Amino acid sequence: MELKVLIAGKGGEGIIFMTRILAEGAFSLGIPVISSEIHGMAQRGGSVISQVKLGKFYSPFIPYGKADFLIATSKEEGERNQIYLKPDGILVVNSPESLPFHINASSLAQKLDHPKGANLILLGFAINKMGLKEGPFLEAIDKHSPSSVREKNKKAFLCGFFISKEENIKPLE
Amino acid sequence: MGNEAIAWGLLKEGVSFATSYPGTPASEILEAVIKFNEEYKLGIFAQWCINEKVAFELALAHSWLGGRSSVSMKQVGLNVALDALMSAAYTGVKGGFLIISADDPGPYSSQTEQDSRFLAMFAKIPVFDPSSPKEAMDMIKEALELSERYQLPVMLRPTSWVCHARQGILLEEELKPTSKKLSLEKDLCHWAALPRRRYVLHKELNEKLRSIQKENGFRKISSNGAKKAVVSSGFPFALLMDVLKSLNLEGSLDIYKVDRPFPLSPLLNEELSAYEEILVLEETYPVIELQIPYREKIRGRLDGTVPSQGELRPENILEALHLLLKDLPFEKIQGPKEGAPPRLCAGCPHRAAFWAIKKAFPQGLFPSDIGCYTLGLQMGAVDAFLCMGAGVSLAEGFYIALKNAREKIPPICATVGDSTFFHACIPALIDAVNKKAAFVLVILDNFTTAMTGGQPTPSNPTGGLIKVEIEEVIKGCGVKFIKVVDPFDFSETVKSLKEAHTFCEDKETPAVVISRRLCPLFEKASSTKVLLFKEEKCTGCALCISESKCPALEEGEERPIINRELCRSCGLCAFICPHNALELVEV
Repeated sequence: MELKVLIAGKGGEGIIFMTRILAEGAFSLGIPVISSEIHGMAQRGGSVISQVKLGKFYSPFIPYGKADFLIATSKEEGERNQIYLKPDGILVVNSPESLPFHINASSLAQKLDHPKGANLILLGFAINKMGLKEGPFLEAIDKHSPSSVREKNKKAFLCGFFISKEENIKPLE
Repeated sequence: MGNEAIAWGLLKEGVSFATSYPGTPASEILEAVIKFNEEYKLGIFAQWCINEKVAFELALAHSWLGGRSSVSMKQVGLNVALDALMSAAYTGVKGGFLIISADDPGPYSSQTEQDSRFLAMFAKIPVFDPSSPKEAMDMIKEALELSERYQLPVMLRPTSWVCHARQGILLEEELKPTSKKLSLEKDLCHWAALPRRRYVLHKELNEKLRSIQKENGFRKISSNGAKKAVVSSGFPFALLMDVLKSLNLEGSLDIYKVDRPFPLSPLLNEELSAYEEILVLEETYPVIELQIPYREKIRGRLDGTVPSQGELRPENILEALHLLLKDLPFEKIQGPKEGAPPRLCAGCPHRAAFWAIKKAFPQGLFPSDIGCYTLGLQMGAVDAFLCMGAGVSLAEGFYIALKNAREKIPPICATVGDSTFFHACIPALIDAVNKKAAFVLVILDNFTTAMTGGQPTPSNPTGGLIKVEIEEVIKGCGVKFIKVVDPFDFSETVKSLKEAHTFCEDKETPAVVISRRLCPLFEKASSTKVLLFKEEKCTGCALCISESKCPALEEGEERPIINRELCRSCGLCAFICPHNALELVEV
């Protein structure tokens, strides 16, 4: 399989963590992975992107107009990076507004009493849309989460994943 | 991550001495070495040093005793170690000695996008240019062997998207401790060569380079008998291969991959002589391009086929191929609009210090330094920064220049971080005392090297190392006014800054205020206080936002909105608010 995924958000929102989980999970599924993430000055609350390419690629960079998925932590970051998405690509966005592929991850995270888990709800939601199994990603979350939030992180991921799954079962329009 | 792959490669090849000074994109190399060293109980020496020059010299000494050594840094760090590098190229090494200098095309987190390969060329040492994490890891073996074979320092030059790329790599073996013994054989001919023998060493170096040139250092990736060729190295090679694949053009060009851009093999030039046109794709400066003699046939950075600044993206590669092949469809695409700029984090003690500096010296002149605190620019409390350590020397220079010209001198207040202070500010501070430069120096001591991920500093060391107190060092530099403040004691900080300024004007000497508080990114305990917002008292003046520039305060329609996710209850906004609408209370 080949899949190009762009993750967009702000430094400090856990973009690097999402990238790592997506990359490691896919690698466990036997898919070659190459990804990039931003560290340093640009990380301090500014807009950041990560790029993940699943399949046989040499570089992690996604040309404009070629991403299959754009995962955005807000509507603004999604719109700003829309240029990366291919015409029939899917924008998965954390937003209370009713957009084609949206999930109100922030509000769900509050309900789960784990506000910082919004990014994992969003990731779970997106990974199901990619047609990937949840197992390896849960393992990656288990491995890389600090023990204090390990269970909460897994729960958040599954919450997004299953909401996405239920949506898939619904008949279209 | 690429940096972890590099660390693994170093340890797999028996490097038993690894030093570094943190800097993006290189920081995670030594972090990973330290982690693997503990995990696999390798017992090697892996330490952060005060700066890159010291890190370089420590590792060189180990190599002179016969052990394999590495020193890693960011590209501008190599400038700091350049004096040592230039000389070490002449003296040579004994145990394999690998310099890893990570470049930052873009730049994302640096003051320049300089190309370390040029510094390798300048020093006359070989340099390897990996295109992926896996390749970076694999090149280490060859680089260390080359270093030992020719007794020469060798450089590995990854760029940001090699360092900070993640790639699945299957590791074939576990790491094992090395059993290599050091030997103290004084090689005075090399270690202590006087100037008149240095030309002999230079001759040795030139001979080594000539022999190395004969080792290929390049590969022909695809051979189609085409009349046009692409020569590429590093990350642009990875971009090129993806672009060619997406266009199904893999077979229409001859492609050469250069692993060792300097010294470039004459064999490559011989092969290239047969082509009508040659496109060179490399980052960030034209290092390979300048070593190919057929000027009229070459397309690259020098003729504008490839942009001369900024990082390369797939679109740049596509445009260059379009210019080379002519019949390739190409359409210029505008990239995304600029996003939100980085800011000091909510709860950052530097924010409070900058706010106090602005309060104490509204008309001040504010030199600063390299670290998170360059972001004080947005608060109007930073006017200039240049390179590590220049915060102090710029303050001294501004003062002396204005004084000499008999111009009016505004209050000068410089800011530097704790790690930066140790790195390069100490000589500058002594010089300022020596030359009677009157300015206030604020050392923003947050107990860590925050920007690069929280590496230890000499005043806050880890693992049983001896603590060196900033106050003691400053006293030793001859500074007569030293005051330590908690930046969250807002009025006291403003008062101390004014006091420091009065002192430095009266005595014509620098005065130091240490603004001391832990970086919130590394604070384990959460605040026992909470920020109360009494909306009825808020007039919507938004002074809290404009003065603090805190990311936890967002502009609402009538009143500010507090982002509770981000707020760390530092209380600066409550102190700023003239209407008592914000209040910090104990929970």
